[in-house]
Amino acid sequence: MATVSDLKITELKLSEAEGGKWGMVIDQDICTGCQACVAACAMENNIPFVGDEDSGYGRSMHWIRIERFWEGEYPEVKMTPNQPMLCQQCGSATCEPVCPAFATVHSQAEQLNLQVYNRCVGTRYCANNCPYQVRSFNWRDYQRPEPLPNQFNPDVTVRRRGVMEKCTFCIQRIHKAQDKAKSEGREVVDGEFTAACAQACPANAITFGRIDDPESLVSQLSKQAHGVKHLEELGTFPHITYFKGG
Amino acid sequence: MIKRLFDWLKQPLGLIAVGIGFLAVFSVAAYGLSTTQKAPEQPIQFPHKTHIAFGIQCLYCHPGAAKGPAAGIPSQAKCWACHQQIAKTETSELLAPLKEAVESGTPIQWVPVAQVPDFVHFNHRAHIAAGKNCEECHGDMSKVTIAENPQVFNMGFCLNCHIKSAGEDQAKLNKLADCGTCHY
Repeated sequence: MATVSDLKITELKLSEAEGGKWGMVIDQDICTGCQACVAACAMENNIPFVGDEDSGYGRSMHWIRIERFWEGEYPEVKMTPNQPMLCQQCGSATCEPVCPAFATVHSQAEQLNLQVYNRCVGTRYCANNCPYQVRSFNWRDYQRPEPLPNQFNPDVTVRRRGVMEKCTFCIQRIHKAQDKAKSEGREVVDGEFTAACAQACPANAITFGRIDDPESLVSQLSKQAHGVKHLEELGTFPHITYFKGG
Repeated sequence: MIKRLFDWLKQPLGLIAVGIGFLAVFSVAAYGLSTTQKAPEQPIQFPHKTHIAFGIQCLYCHPGAAKGPAAGIPSQAKCWACHQQIAKTETSELLAPLKEAVESGTPIQWVPVAQVPDFVHFNHRAHIAAGKNCEECHGDMSKVTIAENPQVFNMGFCLNCHIKSAGEDQAKLNKLADCGTCHY
C-alpha cells in the first residue's frame, strides 16, 4: 500500500511540462476588448470588488485582464491589439518553486497550477516571481454589501484577507463536468463545458479544452502556425496560445 | 518587587492560589474542548435510531447523496408524508415543532452536524459511487438519537482513505491525493 511519502515528487520531465492537459487559445484579432470575460470571471470565481482607493495602490484584483500597449514613438503611436492576460497554467511554472508553504503546487491529475488557499500564508513570493503578473493578493477582507453575497458561487472558496489567488482554469467546472460524465459512465466530451471567460466572450475569441486530445478544437487551433506563446523563451511552457495578425 | 512576589507564592497560601489558578485554566480548556465534541442543539430531538429501526434507508430522506455534492436535509413535507398517518404525531410534545412547521409552512431550521470548511469541496455522489457506505464516515446511526460525528472530518481522515483506496494505482493516487481534487 502506498503512503503519502511514496508520492513521487519526480523531476518534471520536459515532455510532460510541454504537454499539459487543459489549454486555451485566444484570438486577439477578434477580441474587441469588451471586458465581458473579466466580468464573467469575477462573478464565477467570487473575486472581490477592491474599490478605487486600493486600486490606486495597484491592488486591484482580476484573474483575467485586457492588456493594451503603445507601440512606436510619438506621434507615430499605434495601439497593440487587445490582449486578454490570465494565468498561463505553465507546465514549468516560476511561481511554484518559490512558495515556502507549498501552497502553489502543480496538480499531477489536471496538470494545472493550483493555489491552495488554506495553505497560503501570504508571502507573495509567487506573484513577484510570475512573469505574466497574473496573481492577485487579498490585501483586505473586502466588503460585499447586501445583496451582493447572494451571487456567490458555492463551488468556489470565498478567500479571506492575506491569501494569494489566481485563475484556476475554472477547475470547479472541470470537476463538475468530470463528475457528470462519470455518473453517466462516459468520458468528458470536447465542448461539453468551458471556462467562464470563454463562455462569456461574445466574439468567441477564447477557446478552452483538452490540449492532450488531438481531436479537440483547442488542440487543433493551438497547432496553427501563427500561434504565439507569451514569454516562451523563459522556459515556462505556457498552455495558452495567442493569435495575432493572422 | 518580583522577589517579593515569588516569596509570597512560596508560602502555603500562595501555593494554593497557584493551584486554583491552574485548575481554573484547565477546567475552562476542558469545557471548551467538550463543547466541540457535543452534538448541536436541534429544533426537534430527531431520533435517527427509531427511524432506522423502522427500516427507512438513509437515501430515502437524504437522496442528494446519490446524485450530487450535498446529501440534503428533508423538508417537513417529507416528514409529514409518514407522520400525518401516525396518531402519536398529534399528541407527542416532541413532534409539536413539526406540526407547527407544516401548518405555518415555515421550514425547520436544522443545524448541520457533518460539516467541512469552506475551502473543502466534498461531493457525496463520488463517494457513494465508489462503494462507500454512509456509516463509514457518519457512524452507525442506528445507535444515536441526534446525529453526531463519530470522528473529526479533518484532512488526515479524508486522505488516509483516499490513499488506501488508490492502492498501487499511481494514476488513481495522483487524482485522489491531488490538492486540486478538494481545494479550489
